[in-house]
Amino acid sequence: MKKAIITSLTDDRPGVLASISASLFKCDCNLLEVSQTILGSEFAGIFIVSMPKELNEEELKKKLETDLRGENINIHVKPLKESKTFETPCDPFIVTTFGPDRKGLVSAVTSAIARHNSNVTNLKAFFHGGDNPRDNVMIYEIDIPKSENLKALSEDLNKLGEKFSLEINIQHKKIFDNITKI
Amino acid sequence: MLNDHEIYSTLDMLNNAHLDVRTVTLGISLFDCVSDNLDRFKSNIRKKINFYAKDLVNICNRTGEKYGIEVVNKRISISPIAVAAAPFQENEMVEIAKTLDEAAREVGVDFIGGFSALVEKGMTNSDRALIRSIPEALSSTQRVCASINVASTREGINMDAVNLMAKTIKQAAHKSADKDGLACAKICVFSNIPPDIPFMAGAYLGIGEPDAVINVGVSGPGVVKNEIEAALKNKNHGLDLGRIAELIKTTACKVTRVGELIGREVASELKIPFGVCDLSLAPTPTVGDSVGEIFQSLGLESIGLPGSTALLAMLNDAVKKGGAFASSHVGGLSGAFIPVSEDLNIARAAELGLLTLEKLEAMTCVCSVGLDMVAIPGDTSEEVLAGIIADEMAIGMINNKTTATRIIPVPGKGPGEQAFFGGLLGHAAIIDVKNRTGKNNFVKLGGRIPAPIHSLKN
Repeated sequence: MKKAIITSLTDDRPGVLASISASLFKCDCNLLEVSQTILGSEFAGIFIVSMPKELNEEELKKKLETDLRGENINIHVKPLKESKTFETPCDPFIVTTFGPDRKGLVSAVTSAIARHNSNVTNLKAFFHGGDNPRDNVMIYEIDIPKSENLKALSEDLNKLGEKFSLEINIQHKKIFDNITKI
Repeated sequence: MLNDHEIYSTLDMLNNAHLDVRTVTLGISLFDCVSDNLDRFKSNIRKKINFYAKDLVNICNRTGEKYGIEVVNKRISISPIAVAAAPFQENEMVEIAKTLDEAAREVGVDFIGGFSALVEKGMTNSDRALIRSIPEALSSTQRVCASINVASTREGINMDAVNLMAKTIKQAAHKSADKDGLACAKICVFSNIPPDIPFMAGAYLGIGEPDAVINVGVSGPGVVKNEIEAALKNKNHGLDLGRIAELIKTTACKVTRVGELIGREVASELKIPFGVCDLSLAPTPTVGDSVGEIFQSLGLESIGLPGSTALLAMLNDAVKKGGAFASSHVGGLSGAFIPVSEDLNIARAAELGLLTLEKLEAMTCVCSVGLDMVAIPGDTSEEVLAGIIADEMAIGMINNKTTATRIIPVPGKGPGEQAFFGGLLGHAAIIDVKNRTGKNNFVKLGGRIPAPIHSLKN
């Protein structure tokens, strides 16, 4: 099966998903996986599809752009290779930060996580400014290989907390699941 | 992905409210260690305790680090020694206690419970030997805890055992007089003792239990207090006691879930079964980790004042309901403890005279245990002490619940003076006992108080 991954960006408004999915249907693509979010006022959608063999990715992009002309949607299509997933045995953790906004926070935290061979699987962050720490939050879901030294990662994150005046927590995801999901 | 509120509320519980796993208690059966040769018996129990418990502390610490939840205490409960060590005499029981103390020290646990006898209907020679050995055994060891079940709803109250325990407690206090009678802080007298308590000093491993089992004691008075205060602050209008009980229940449920998660992981690492989660609001002598503070959060000026029994009834029941919803294997005591010296706030109420022995006894009708860590004057007579124990046992027997006493007659000290036990055992003002040096011919009649009519269930 030939697969492609399609990303789309546009101003959010009612009917965006309807338009894109209708165009994919016209192009004889079958949706396999979809993720969408709204950041600020911008819609971002990622679609994994199976596509007709006779089309290549460039042709699919052109067809979609033609069909969606006037909707001001940025489309990008690339082939999806069957790649190996992160197969190392891992434990899921959640890293949260609260504190004042400044440039370089995401870069610093993700670099620390990467140094410990850990993988960010989900990230939510918002920085509204102001004094309330909960107006400036980063929530990372990360997979930490079982072979990694959790204490060392915690210490690295704590150092970042001191440097950036952030309250940083790292906690096993099962704790959140057990407390909040019954 | 978890939503923001779920993350914030969980972090608040973990970071601001002393949420920890109070104890992971490894139960070990000693029945296959039996021998009529003392040296062989001692060697057998030492080997068996070491076999199961050698990795307990490391695994608990590792699991605590992984989940960011500290396992504060690691402990061992064992089969009742009066049964496992049936052939031995009083002096040999002391030797066994010393071996248990040594075995506990070797594996790094702070307490080992099960220097116990079940005598609610009568005493065997070994039961008597064990009880008589308690003063020497507990004052010459650090880690050994004793619990004696003298009453049950099914069997009534063994008043001969009650009298013997009063005498034993007085002797234990005398033998540890230099430490304000500290040995008595390791002696519990029970009615309806559960076989799977993880909390000390009452823990022992019951006769129907597996060869080894992990029982977990989860605490969290600070968590409950914080939730109540936050709710009262944010939703002051319309938050009546029904909704507060619901809030306590929900909080207890969350806390129990965390305890069970940790307990199951430790059990899995040790490759032994998980037993029960005991959710008990067990305070420590630390600000913010107090059951007494919950009373103040709910509007009473102090624990011990009118309204305290009603409040405790609601608290105890809500905790049990939350625990039962969270886990299918809730056991032990599960409820609210009111140990006087171990709770700064309760100790203060006793010091101010707001909490009397009579009010404490009334409150034990609705709490999960009984007269716990209560310091009384050292000159309280054996007969009067037996009367206090008998009253507490009667509450348990008639109400089909566990009750217990952990009373310290502090040698050489009188009402209002302070007794210091140290560490988690804390300190407390000595509570007065009415007619404390008087006679009590009722308890001296001895024999058995028959089981109540509702014991006839078959």
